[in-house]
Amino acid sequence: MMRTIEVLVVIIIITGAFIGASFFAVLPGPRQVSPMNLRRLSYTTLQLLDSNYDLSIAAFDTDNATIWQELQVALSASLPPNVIYNLTVYNIGTSSSGIELYDPKFTIANAENLGASSDAASYLAASSNVTFNVIPEKIGEQSGGSTLYILNCSDANGWWITGYTAQSLAQDMYKLLSPYFKDTIMVQNTAELGQILAGTPLNGELLQNAVVINTYGEAVPIPNAYCTTPYSDNSYARYSYELGQIVSQYNWTWASIVGYPFYYVSNTAVFETEQNDWGIYGMRRTSTGGLNAFLQGLDNHSYNYDSDWITSDVGVVTLTNDAKYYSNYYGIYPSEFQTSTRALSNSILSSYHLSVGLNVFNPVGNYLPGSLYSHVASGSTSTTGVFLALGLTRTPDIRLTGLSLLTYYKPRLYRSEYTTYGTSRLVILQLGFLGAE
Amino acid sequence: MVSSTVDHMVAVTVFLAATLLFIGLFNQTIQTAVIYQRHRAISTKASDLLDNMLLTPGIPIDWGQNDDLPTGFGLQDPEFTQYKISSFSLMRLNSASGTAVYYPKTGMTYSNITIGTKNFLLVSETSALNYTTALDLLGIRNQYGFQLSFNPIITVSIIEEQAEDPLRLRIEAYGTGFPLAHARVTYCLISVSLGGSHPDYIVDYGTAVTAEDGSVTLEFADIQSSTSTYSIIAYVHAGGLLGVGYHERVSMEEQYVIPLIDDISEGRVLIAHSFDIEYDDPPNAEVKYNATLVYLTEDFNLREMPLENAYGHVNSGEGFPYEVINIPTDTPGILIITYKKSTVEGGLVMMPWGISSLAFPVVFGGDPSIREWVATDIRQIMVGGVTYQAKIALWDLEGYQVVD
Repeated sequence: MMRTIEVLVVIIIITGAFIGASFFAVLPGPRQVSPMNLRRLSYTTLQLLDSNYDLSIAAFDTDNATIWQELQVALSASLPPNVIYNLTVYNIGTSSSGIELYDPKFTIANAENLGASSDAASYLAASSNVTFNVIPEKIGEQSGGSTLYILNCSDANGWWITGYTAQSLAQDMYKLLSPYFKDTIMVQNTAELGQILAGTPLNGELLQNAVVINTYGEAVPIPNAYCTTPYSDNSYARYSYELGQIVSQYNWTWASIVGYPFYYVSNTAVFETEQNDWGIYGMRRTSTGGLNAFLQGLDNHSYNYDSDWITSDVGVVTLTNDAKYYSNYYGIYPSEFQTSTRALSNSILSSYHLSVGLNVFNPVGNYLPGSLYSHVASGSTSTTGVFLALGLTRTPDIRLTGLSLLTYYKPRLYRSEYTTYGTSRLVILQLGFLGAE
Repeated sequence: MVSSTVDHMVAVTVFLAATLLFIGLFNQTIQTAVIYQRHRAISTKASDLLDNMLLTPGIPIDWGQNDDLPTGFGLQDPEFTQYKISSFSLMRLNSASGTAVYYPKTGMTYSNITIGTKNFLLVSETSALNYTTALDLLGIRNQYGFQLSFNPIITVSIIEEQAEDPLRLRIEAYGTGFPLAHARVTYCLISVSLGGSHPDYIVDYGTAVTAEDGSVTLEFADIQSSTSTYSIIAYVHAGGLLGVGYHERVSMEEQYVIPLIDDISEGRVLIAHSFDIEYDDPPNAEVKYNATLVYLTEDFNLREMPLENAYGHVNSGEGFPYEVINIPTDTPGILIITYKKSTVEGGLVMMPWGISSLAFPVVFGGDPSIREWVATDIRQIMVGGVTYQAKIALWDLEGYQVVD
């Protein structure tokens, strides 16, 4: 009998434990288990209302009953029938001690209380009377020389830019980089290229310290004047040597956007019946001697034809942290992962008095997939020529060239302040469900 | 001794019975809690997946405007940021709402969105992206199933109140939760002329404002006969919202032309005779057509784009091939095709080029109705300037209490 009583006592204890556990293990209601993401709904609704700037106009015109009536109708019409809302506009101010203050200016709502399960999103509405500007610093403005030359020669063809034309790349480059330079010159034909190579500005711009972007990929346009001896020696490798010397003379930054630099020369008039071995007419193959000759010219060696292949296929490469940081700063977002089949050997650093001014891509062993090389001649302390070589496979992402140059020069961006008094208003839309506690 | 043994046996039996009962009760509570947790995880996944689809354009970013299979699934308009969705990517989604249409003359099946009786969006199966491929691209095949639906926030209904002298039309604009009061209405009436060698049309524009109940009545004195053919497209806009409505009346219902999108990248559209699709052994019946592409300007006027081979005629049955027109633009627009059999029998069909131009709804994915638990989430989005609501329904295909 005693044991039965003991068991009954145990059962009473377990029952108590079960009731106690059930009391505390309160399961949430279906709405909490599978909630609609009210914050995202709220945010997207605010974006929708401001798609034609109606919300921004209303936020700065809180006394206009007509505008607010229309906005409230739109808000009610856009939300599901079981969703209730409270939209409040705050004026952004600053206290005497410099603390930002948010002062409620206007509210529309269709319920007094939105319940504990409500959620909200905020939206910064800008005044139509204020223009928010980003003013970039001009590269080389302080040191002298702020010229950007973009090769856009109508009488030359490109290679390894498949899917683009050099002209379309030049246009993209112009849009991307021209705000950062005092003068941006589109070099429209090889005659104009010949003029600047001869030291004559095209439009009164400063030649010294200029940046030259070759949008022709592995090919480089060649002016008629350079299509003769001695520049035609060794399949025009000597022309690349001359380019190297001019880059050094004017302290230019020469940008090669893809592949093996100086691998071909192009002039559609002179090489009308010649092709680059791949069926592109108006072009001659210089081969590997072109790059070696350019580096010899840059370092002022005497010309000595050298056909050594100095790149390697290193496969997938990644942007350096520096490049990624400035990708965010300048708002240029090429893919972090690229394929490099023409990464330059780091042996050129000692051979030609080059130092790495910037690694755009992380080095792979002894090879540099994309870097800016600064040339400082033996016994000198000043830079005489910079060379950007992006040894990526075709087809080029022209944004990488822009990002590389901006990361190297680091021009500052002067942004106007968004929270300046009276220029912005904070709009908060809080949403809840009908009947929610 | 005996009583002690009986006491012992009774006690053990009662204890074991009680223990089994309580194990069952506790187990039930724990199971319920586990299921609740799984449901919560599905809900979070639904929200994430919806944002993934809406905030990335896919790979390549312009996959909506070519016929290649994408290698990444996303619906964002590559020219914009935030929740602005590509009208063309949506056009390539294989519709789950309409029954696919088979066209014997090409031997192809076409994904079908048909609104009303004369507004078609039929995309060839080689151009349309199917649900299974989307699951693979999202990496959720055999884990989750989903249905994605895009519905215009503003529903614009057009009702013919009086057929002639004058034609009286009532336009009603409703949001998802409220009538759109005091909204501006911009409309264009397309009147079809059947008198010439080929059918033609003229467009009249007008504006109006909706009343408190979101409706407005329009009168057109030029429409004198109840047999005349017309179409009206109305754009209703207020407070950042934009909705599109349309209505048409034709004098020949049975024989008409049907546009079939054959190749999106080339903009190739086949003009088929309706008999070829509706009959197994179609009788001969020629109709003439005149195709025009229009797109909407910022002031809600329609601007015409010239088309090659705009005029033609199609017949049904064997020996009468379909006709082909090419749409030369990547901008969303409306293909308007007027057709006629005689000077008194004809009509007009419309096809959106990019779903937003006629605010077509899109449903893509599996069927959630047979699932045990479905999590849903919504976003407010813009598709080519038209306001839509994107809704995802997501369900789990793995684990406990899953119906498949």
